[in-house]
Amino acid sequence: MYRKHSPVGAFGRHILIWTVIGFAMFPVIWIFSASINPANTLLGQSLIPKNYTWNHYVEFFTNKQHPFGLWILNSVKVSGVTALFTVILAALGAYAFSRFRFKGRRTGLLSLLLVQMFPQMLAMVAIYLLLLNIGKYISWLGLNQHISLIMVYLGGAMGFNMWLMKGYFDTISYSLEESAMIDGATHFQSFIRIILPLARPILAVIFILQFIGTYSDFILASILLSSKENYTLAVGLRLFITGQYSTRWGAFAAASIIGAFPIMMIFLLLQNQLVSGLTRGGVKE
Amino acid sequence: MEKPLFSISLKIIFLGILDALAIWSIITIIFDGYYWVGGILSLGVIIINYIFLSERAYPFRYMVPGLIFLVIMVIYPIFYTIYVSFTNYGTGHILNKEQAIEQFENQVYFPKDSVSYTFQAFKNDSGEIKIILFSPEEEAYLCENKKIIVKVDLSDPRFIDQDKDGIIDQFDNYKKLDKIQIIQSLNELQNLRFKKDEYIIKLANLTEFIVCNKKYQFDPSLDRLLDLENGKIYHDIEGYFISEDGERLTPGFRVKIGFKNFTKLIRSPQISGPFLRVFGWTFLWAFLSVITTFALGLTLAIILNDPYMKLRKIYRTLLIIPYSIPGFISCLIWCGLFNTEVGIINRILNNLFQVIIPWLQHPIWAKVAVVVVNLWLGFPYMMIITLGALQSIPFELGEAAAIDGASRWQQFKSITFPLLLVSLAPLLIGSFAFNFNNFNVIYLVTQGRPAIPGAGTPAGATDILISYTYRLAFEGARGNQWGLASAVSLIIFIIIAVISAIGFHYTRALEEVSKNV
Amino acid sequence: MKKFLTVFLVLMMLIGLISIASASEVGKLLIWCDADRAPVLEEVGKEFTAKYNIPVEVQEVGDPHRRLTTAGPAGEGADLIIGAHDWIGELIENGLLEPISLFTELRSKFVPVSLEAFTYGGKLYGLPYATEAVALFYNKDLVPEPPATFEELITIAKGLTNREKGEYGFLIQMPDPYHSFPLLSATGGYIFGENPDGTANPLDIGLASEGAIRGANLLLRLVQEGIEVPGADYQTVIGLFNEGKLAMMIAGPWTIEGIREAGINYGIAKIPTIDGQVAKPFVGVQGCMVSAFSENKLLTRTFLIDFVATKETMLKLYERANRPPAFLPALEEVSENPDIKGIAISAADGIPMPKIPEMASVWGAWADALELIVNQKLGPEQALKDAVEHMKKAIQGE
Repeated sequence: MYRKHSPVGAFGRHILIWTVIGFAMFPVIWIFSASINPANTLLGQSLIPKNYTWNHYVEFFTNKQHPFGLWILNSVKVSGVTALFTVILAALGAYAFSRFRFKGRRTGLLSLLLVQMFPQMLAMVAIYLLLLNIGKYISWLGLNQHISLIMVYLGGAMGFNMWLMKGYFDTISYSLEESAMIDGATHFQSFIRIILPLARPILAVIFILQFIGTYSDFILASILLSSKENYTLAVGLRLFITGQYSTRWGAFAAASIIGAFPIMMIFLLLQNQLVSGLTRGGVKE
Repeated sequence: MEKPLFSISLKIIFLGILDALAIWSIITIIFDGYYWVGGILSLGVIIINYIFLSERAYPFRYMVPGLIFLVIMVIYPIFYTIYVSFTNYGTGHILNKEQAIEQFENQVYFPKDSVSYTFQAFKNDSGEIKIILFSPEEEAYLCENKKIIVKVDLSDPRFIDQDKDGIIDQFDNYKKLDKIQIIQSLNELQNLRFKKDEYIIKLANLTEFIVCNKKYQFDPSLDRLLDLENGKIYHDIEGYFISEDGERLTPGFRVKIGFKNFTKLIRSPQISGPFLRVFGWTFLWAFLSVITTFALGLTLAIILNDPYMKLRKIYRTLLIIPYSIPGFISCLIWCGLFNTEVGIINRILNNLFQVIIPWLQHPIWAKVAVVVVNLWLGFPYMMIITLGALQSIPFELGEAAAIDGASRWQQFKSITFPLLLVSLAPLLIGSFAFNFNNFNVIYLVTQGRPAIPGAGTPAGATDILISYTYRLAFEGARGNQWGLASAVSLIIFIIIAVISAIGFHYTRALEEVSKNV
Repeated sequence: MKKFLTVFLVLMMLIGLISIASASEVGKLLIWCDADRAPVLEEVGKEFTAKYNIPVEVQEVGDPHRRLTTAGPAGEGADLIIGAHDWIGELIENGLLEPISLFTELRSKFVPVSLEAFTYGGKLYGLPYATEAVALFYNKDLVPEPPATFEELITIAKGLTNREKGEYGFLIQMPDPYHSFPLLSATGGYIFGENPDGTANPLDIGLASEGAIRGANLLLRLVQEGIEVPGADYQTVIGLFNEGKLAMMIAGPWTIEGIREAGINYGIAKIPTIDGQVAKPFVGVQGCMVSAFSENKLLTRTFLIDFVATKETMLKLYERANRPPAFLPALEEVSENPDIKGIAISAADGIPMPKIPEMASVWGAWADALELIVNQKLGPEQALKDAVEHMKKAIQGE
């Protein structure tokens, strides 16, 4: 559906993109401005504060009470593992929904979507009490453990991602699998060797979405994690700022900006996987 | 059918770990008296074993790993919410009845002739503690075991005062504890209760034991609490112990109250009054949120999927920035940008067009503002999923159309877009539901404001159902009413489920699902 | 059959491997507080550990009282939480706090009003360490002498306000009940009336009383004279003041650090009188509270009395907070500090923030009323009367 465009068309597209980038960056510039404002106000009246300072960035790396660096590592670890397992588990489930016909399939698909719509307000209390009680029996699956936090995220990630993945699998032709199975491959083997490589773009999409979603979650993590060395960045930052009356917006803004870098890195690394339409083999018949 | 050894052993190890964990927990849980939990857990384990060992359940093997997490972390909280919606859980009713009774039974009162005793504590090598108490009349009492004290004569040679300072240093094998050791043993000491006459003696502070008496006694057979000091009787009435003359004891406790939360919601004029207005805006808000973010995300995805587009990698990366900044800070920043008096947006508008817009003060402009903020927060998500979904659209189709001379727009309209919708429609409905409940954005940007004049209906112009009803649940009566909030969650869930079902009906998604079944 | 046997064997092996976790926290103190207090308590905790060999863990927690509500009854809560006195009503109603008994000698070392703030039903539930109240903050370069009456303030503010140039004479955070309460209280507005026994009566709400309406009219006048502006939220007010664009504001001690860092030549004074009446701000008291579910109640009390209620610790807490200490020996030491003086003078006229849980029904409706008044959507009398009607309904559980 794409062809080479006329210079005017190309120019128009770039203009449009730059407009949106302007929209996207606009508040970010103000966050940056807050991060170099020594007065620690969130909203300076001028974009470049009179006497700017890099101290808030220095503080990011040197603050002993608030180990931002460690928090970023924790965030990357939790988000990375969550995203990886989301991709694996959702792909498995989506494969079943896409390739097998069984009783309750349609109901299952619809309920997957519906359960995600339940307002989550009370889920916090429920999950907290659940993990607290699990922790009484199995300490490494209790509160204040990254592994239990990851499990909570995995639970929340299954519904939409299975749907997204299933929609994509549906568009992959059966013919390749059929010929593989004639050659003696099991379902599982054809899933691993044929479906997964073909579905690379959607795997990348889900990895990225889940990574970012987990990385920025504050509510669940703040309820489950209780010791400073286990905090994720989002939790650490929110506690650091303790409410609207905080006086530490400068460091908070600086940390928010630095904290965005891992996400950009992941995106840069994975975006080649995102677009692979040209190399796809089969076409749905 | 011959199966590779590897996959069988993998399966067995997986099942083994799972069953081991499960059986061990089930046994412990049942020993601890949670029969229900144990039962449900056993059922789950049996189902999982069946799925993995029976060929008939083969497809479910692929789903189980993911669904386990879904059931524990999503389904279980839903049931918990349903349970809570039938209780009075909330301020004043946080503890369960046993905990409340335990607190009452631990309370003491001091009789008029109450005296305090100074004490010395002693410990033997095996860590047992004994106490010598000194009454105000200098009489000495020794606790022989944990319950009883007896009067003793300290001149007995059994009590040794090595340095002759008048303080006993040792008796039998027990050695005196100094202040530091007393503090280290404080937890043990604070639980000691001695009987003397009809009173009890317990530790009051670091230097004294005090005579006191139990204040309340619970009578399980009559389900009532008796005040031992003045004989008052308190009955359990809806989660409080209340006396005949209306005196209410603190704390209350959690009890089941049937459908009361629901009837309260339905009957309350505070809810029924503004309901239609709030519901209308909630619907519009969710709809606008999906449409705006999807339109922008789709446009960007299509342009940035174009292999002829230069710099597209950099563009894509720059465009996900809004998604990578904590929403908490960006919402507050947006608030400031929209500020009517000093915000940059109004300053620009004023310089260019000489207009000042009362962004967060005017009902309609405030709505525009939250939609814009949500567009900013949400378009990168839509861009990424659309980029992904675009990869599944076969290129050959487009090329064939191009040969037929179809214009790009026609191609998009008749081929790309419908195909995209097939895989994205469920997610758009999901996104609708998410925004329907998007408490955070509303709360951080406008807090539901601006307020609307009118008595008794504190729903602001940008309040959506969830923010408004939670406000009623948490700003009503005496603070947090979790039971009411749960009932609200349930009702809102039903509303969304119905809307989504209708949505499915009208999109092609459901057809697609049924076609594949 | 073989399959099941293998599964069973693996299973038995694994059961042996799983270890049981012990979650008992007896003999260890756990403290929940915010980031500002944490370093001080960690230091004090170390001293305690050094002396008694009892570990003390300090955790930074955003909302200790909320977390205690869930964690406390489940046996996972802290022994000690640090926070504001207006939490105690709800916490006590929930059965989460343990009274603290203090010797008379120690009691006399505290500012009386701070102990009163932590008293509920005749018992003391917190060891106070600081008091706070809003006051008039002014930029000395713009306003050399703070105004003593609101009439003076209005004259000065009008002279300094130039909205075209982004300069403002005086702002109150809006719509915020907390910061604007002094205006309502000066002329006789109040939150809850008193029962004969001195406790608050939640059904006697004085926010639509004649005095409160007079105060709200003053607020309206500030708007009509072009002094108070729409959208004057916390961030805006502080931002303007820290850039020297705002001459006066009503603000609390939490803003001092930022103002200093911004290099503003500021002063703190009493809120000007209204019609000759003293403006009474809310007084908040910060303190330490013991959980009713603590396994270490006496240990915690020992920690509080021997290690926190000392001049040294109280001064350390003061250094992190810029608030007048509630502990007299510490207060004497720092009373010459002009910031502390300003806040303390303002707090001296104040009234403790209500701590009964019914207060939850008051804030939202009150803020709505203020917003309607400031946006000139509704007259002060009507707005406040509507709000009070709503509060009463909410409190009665309708």
